This record gives sequence, structure tokens and C-alpha cells, in this order.
Amino acid sequence: MIDLLWNNLDYAASMILFCIGLYAVITRNNLIKKFMGLNIMETAIFAFIVALGVVDGGNAPIMGEGAAEPFINPLPQALILTGIVVAVSTTALALSLVIRIWRQCGTIEADELREAE
Amino acid sequence: MKRALTIVLLIVLAAVLLNAVAALPPHGSPDTPAYTHVGAYYLEHGPEETGSENVVTSVILNYRGFDTNGEVTVIVTALMAVIAVLTGVRDAGNRPDTDATHVEPSVVVRFIVRVLAPFILVFAVYVILNGHVTPGGGFQGGTMLGALVIALTLVLGERESAKLIPQRPIRIIQVIAPLTFVAVGLAGLIAWGDFLSFPRDEQLRPVAEAMLVLIEAGIGIGGAVVFARVFRLMGGRS
Repeated sequence: MIDLLWNNLDYAASMILFCIGLYAVITRNNLIKKFMGLNIMETAIFAFIVALGVVDGGNAPIMGEGAAEPFINPLPQALILTGIVVAVSTTALALSLVIRIWRQCGTIEADELREAE
Repeated sequence: MKRALTIVLLIVLAAVLLNAVAALPPHGSPDTPAYTHVGAYYLEHGPEETGSENVVTSVILNYRGFDTNGEVTVIVTALMAVIAVLTGVRDAGNRPDTDATHVEPSVVVRFIVRVLAPFILVFAVYVILNGHVTPGGGFQGGTMLGALVIALTLVLGERESAKLIPQRPIRIIQVIAPLTFVAVGLAGLIAWGDFLSFPRDEQLRPVAEAMLVLIEAGIGIGGAVVFARVFRLMGGRS
């Protein structure tokens, strides 16, 4: 088990990072910190999927002069580029909602907002 | 109590995840399923089928062009949602007191940003236009352009920075990414019979490259404007 995990240390690190992000989402009271936790979770998943495409001693998947095998798998990188853009979009929307909540209620602490209801 | 419960829950979750991760094929081995099927095909045929030496770009803009078309629509939709949330509605009025919180950026910051601005601009344009032969592309360069506009907004002050985003053409420019994408897609539909189809002949390779560059430029400019606009909206500007 430990040997296998040691081989897959990159994946294991992503999983730990994911749990750290989830911890922030659950325990933090400040809405902005919750969204930071959400971003940490997203980053963990991105790192995990990009790491899936890595090949030992691989080069960037750019053909042309001087390009040599083996190449890194281009597919995870392309998919994660899409993922990053969508993550930016959702973060922008989430932060603008936080700004709106602050303007309306004067606070962005989750428990104070619950009391104010 | 809540914290202890959370930690127990996360330890259980981490144990499950690590167990699953340990069962994956070893990191970096070239004969994993992820590497031997679709990715191998793209690596082998990408350059001659798409006219892009950068296989990541050929996947993004050609093989999975539909996906990216939806993606640029997502950015514009997010901008529209931010506009809808932050403008035009009366609220309780907890606006940031700009006079009280506004701090003049130091001379060093202003000087550095002004000196670096043209170089950042040139590098961003280079990254956008060379996305099909070097690492980079529309999204990456667009992010740099957007960051440049944001940095200038921070140092230039209210009136000067408003000129960075001219009011009237912005309405078209902020949706230019999906527009160029659809335009190039329709060109492919008319010329080669499929939406977003690129010519595969060796003679027509410059045409395919031109289409790629056009899409990259559209994504770069559109993305930059969206980022800058979202930032300004969050700061209570227009």
C-alpha cells in the first residue's frame, strides 16, 4: 500500500490538497474563504488530471524541428485548460454574488447571515 | 464539535481517495490506458490533420472545437451574470467608501507598471498569435492582457483607467470570442460541409493555420476584455 502510494505520490498529493480545500469549505465562516477552499479543491483536481498525462522523460507535445519522443499526453492538458476557464467563470460569478450580499446585508459571515434571516 | 466531526469525515474521505489512487497505474509510465488510446492518436496525426504543431492547440481548437466553443460562451455568460448581479438594482447601499479606502499606489508601483506595460502587451500578443506553434494560445495570452488592464486600472486612477475600456465598442468586443468562433465554424460549414471543419489538404495548410490564429485572436481579445470588465464591475466601476 505504502509502496504503491509512493509510486503515485503526485496523485496522493492532489487528494490531500482536495481534502484541505474541502476542510476550508466546511469549517470557514467567511464566504470568500469558502470560495477559496472551493478553488483549492478545483486546483487539486486539475493537478491530478494533468499528472495523469505525464510520461517519464516526456517532452511538451509540440511537433516541429527538434521534437523527440516520448511526448506528454496532450489530452489532459487540453481538458484542464477548459476546466480552468470554467473555474474562473464560476469564481467570478461567486465573488460578485458575495459583493452583492455584502452590499445588501453588510456582512459576509455565514452564521451572521443565518441569524439575520 | 463541528470541527472534530469534519476532521473525522475528511480522514475517512482521504483514506478512500488514497486507496483508490494507490490502485492506479504507476505515475509516468507510458503504457497506461490514458496514454495509449486517444492521446496516442492525437500525437501521431495531430500535426498533419490540423495544421497546428502544438498538439494541445489542435485538440482544443480542432478535435474538440465544439467543447471550446461552449467554453468561450461560458465566459461571456459569466460576464453577463456578473453584470446582472452587480449593476442596475437598488440595494441597501453598503458601497465601498472609495475616498476613505483609496490609497495612492506608491511611486515604485506606478513606475514599474508603466515601464513594464508595453512589454507585457507585446508578450501577450506573441503568446496569442503563436499558440499553434509554441506553448500558449488565446486563453493564456488573454489572461495576460486582462491582467495588464487590471494592473493599469489600479495605478492610473479613475478617469485615466476608464479610457482603457472604451464604452461603445466594448459591447461588441466582449462577445467577440464566441462570435469569431461561430464565424470560423460557419466558414468551415460552407467550405467543407461541417461546422468547425478545417481543411486537411497539404496545400490548404496556410488556410487552416489562418483559421486557428483568427480563433486564438478572438479568444484572446474577448477573454481579456471579459476579465478586465469583471474586475472593474467588482470595484463598483462601469
